Order: sequence, then C-alpha cells, then structure tokens
Amino acid sequence: MKFLISKRAFFLIIVLVLVSPVFGVILADMVGYHEPLDLAAEALGLEDKNEEINWTPFIDYTVPGLPDPIGYVLAGFMGVVMVLALGMGMAKILSREK
Amino acid sequence: MHIPDGFLDPLTALITYMFSIIYAAYAFYRVRRSKKSEEIILASVLAAGIFAAQMLNWPLPGGTSLHFVGGALAGILLGPWLGFISVFLVLLVQCLVFHDGGITALGANVFNMAIIDVLAGYIFYRLSPEKYKLLGAFLGGWLGITIAGIACGIELGFSGQFPYSLQSTVLVMGTWHALLGLIEGAITSAVVSYIVKKAPHLLIR
Repeated sequence: MKFLISKRAFFLIIVLVLVSPVFGVILADMVGYHEPLDLAAEALGLEDKNEEINWTPFIDYTVPGLPDPIGYVLAGFMGVVMVLALGMGMAKILSREK
Repeated sequence: MHIPDGFLDPLTALITYMFSIIYAAYAFYRVRRSKKSEEIILASVLAAGIFAAQMLNWPLPGGTSLHFVGGALAGILLGPWLGFISVFLVLLVQCLVFHDGGITALGANVFNMAIIDVLAGYIFYRLSPEKYKLLGAFLGGWLGITIAGIACGIELGFSGQFPYSLQSTVLVMGTWHALLGLIEGAITSAVVSYIVKKAPHLLIR
C-alpha cells in the first residue's frame, strides 16, 4: 500500500503532467488530433455541443490568458489536486464510524 | 471515449444515469462497509495517476489519437467497487472542471469507463489461471476498452440523434476501440507485471 502512496507515485504523476503538453497539445496540433469518438461522430453526422453549453473557463484543459501548453500543465495539476482532494474527502466520510 | 453533450438523446442519457447511480450507490455502500480509509486513499492516488495519464494523447497517423483509459487497471488493482470510485473521481473532475465529456453524457461515460471497463479488467484478471495472469491483464485492458466502445456505440445508436442504425454505430465504435484497445491491454499488462514484481500486496482481493 505504501508503495503507491509514496514519493515515487507523486513524482511519476508530476512527470506525466509536465510532459503531457508534448502529447496533448504540440503533437496533437501537428497531426490534427481527434479522438476516435470524434471521428466516428463526424462520420455519423453528430454535432458536439460541448462549447455551446459550457460552464467552465477551463474547457478542454485550457486556462484563460495562458498559452495552450502552459495552460495544459496548469490544468493537469489542478485536476490532480482536485481528484486527490475529492478522494481524501471521500476517505474521511466513507470510513467514518456510523 | 468521452461522450460530449449533444450526442445522446434525453432517454438514453436518463437510462445510463440511472444505471450508473444505482451501481455507484452500491459501490459506495460496499466501500463504506469495509471502512478502510487507506484503501480509499490508494484509490485516490491511482485516480490522480489515471487522470495524469489520460492527458497524454498519443497522436496516431491518420489524425486520430489514443490515451490510456485505465479502467481495467483500476479493476485489477482495486476490485470492482474501489476501482469504480477511482475512475469515477477522474470522470467527475474531467466533466465538471474541464468539460471533457458532457454533463448530459456523464451517466453514459461513467457506465462505459468506470463500470464496464473496470469490471472487464477485474473479471478477466480474476478468471485467468495463476500462470496466465499477465495475459488476463492484457485481455482485461484490451477487451475492457472494446466492450466499453461497443457499449458507447449502442448508446449512440439507441439515442436516435442521427439517422444511422445501431449496427453502424456499434461497428464503428467497436472496431476503433478493438484496435486501440490492444495498446491499452499492453500498458495494463506491463503495469500489472511491474506491480506484481515490486509490490504484490497492492492487488486488493
């Protein structure tokens, strides 16, 4: 158990987030990135309404005012912190004695 | 794999939400009953890792890409209930904070990735004989994504948002994900192999 909840695990997560714009932004732009679902939807004539009914300034892992690669890294760290915070909160609530 | 808003009709969205809510309620009940906060923290750390890994989109020739989904890995390492919670945390943050996956499709996305993919990983790994555990992990990763892709195709086909048949959507989604799932299977198997060697006690029974 301690193996995963360790410095090594967090180091790996930090490295993944730091290198993520290379794959998620730079190379994706170079090849005209689309998820398989987007391609299938295009072939089937579906319309993505995510941008029409949006509620978050961080849509698609961007941060307003920042260049995409930097915003992507910041969004990555925000996401990791939120996932951990939610998980820790859940651990506290679910493990509480009745 | 993340279905955005606009792809599902209200009925399909409602049905998938209902399935996911019922499963989530049972998963939370099972986890709460075990009262092992350390295991929930482990699930959160794995969720953070899956979130980070999903940000690495590997572009492929032809203008598409793939990223690790991680549902099967969560199922193998944590089992069906904690594994669900781990992937659910990822999907919830992705949807609410980054609008990756639609709010109307959150039920379907949870059903595909946090239920089907997690269960597939768990079942294939558990059913594989001791000598072939890594093959079980590979099959879990590969078929988890494939079955989740087919489920996604069924949801799109049923939703009646466009004039294509269920057969077309299932074929398109199933074929894509069966191909990309081979890489998910290979990554899942490699990570499980590493953990089995370095920390076998991490596999929660």
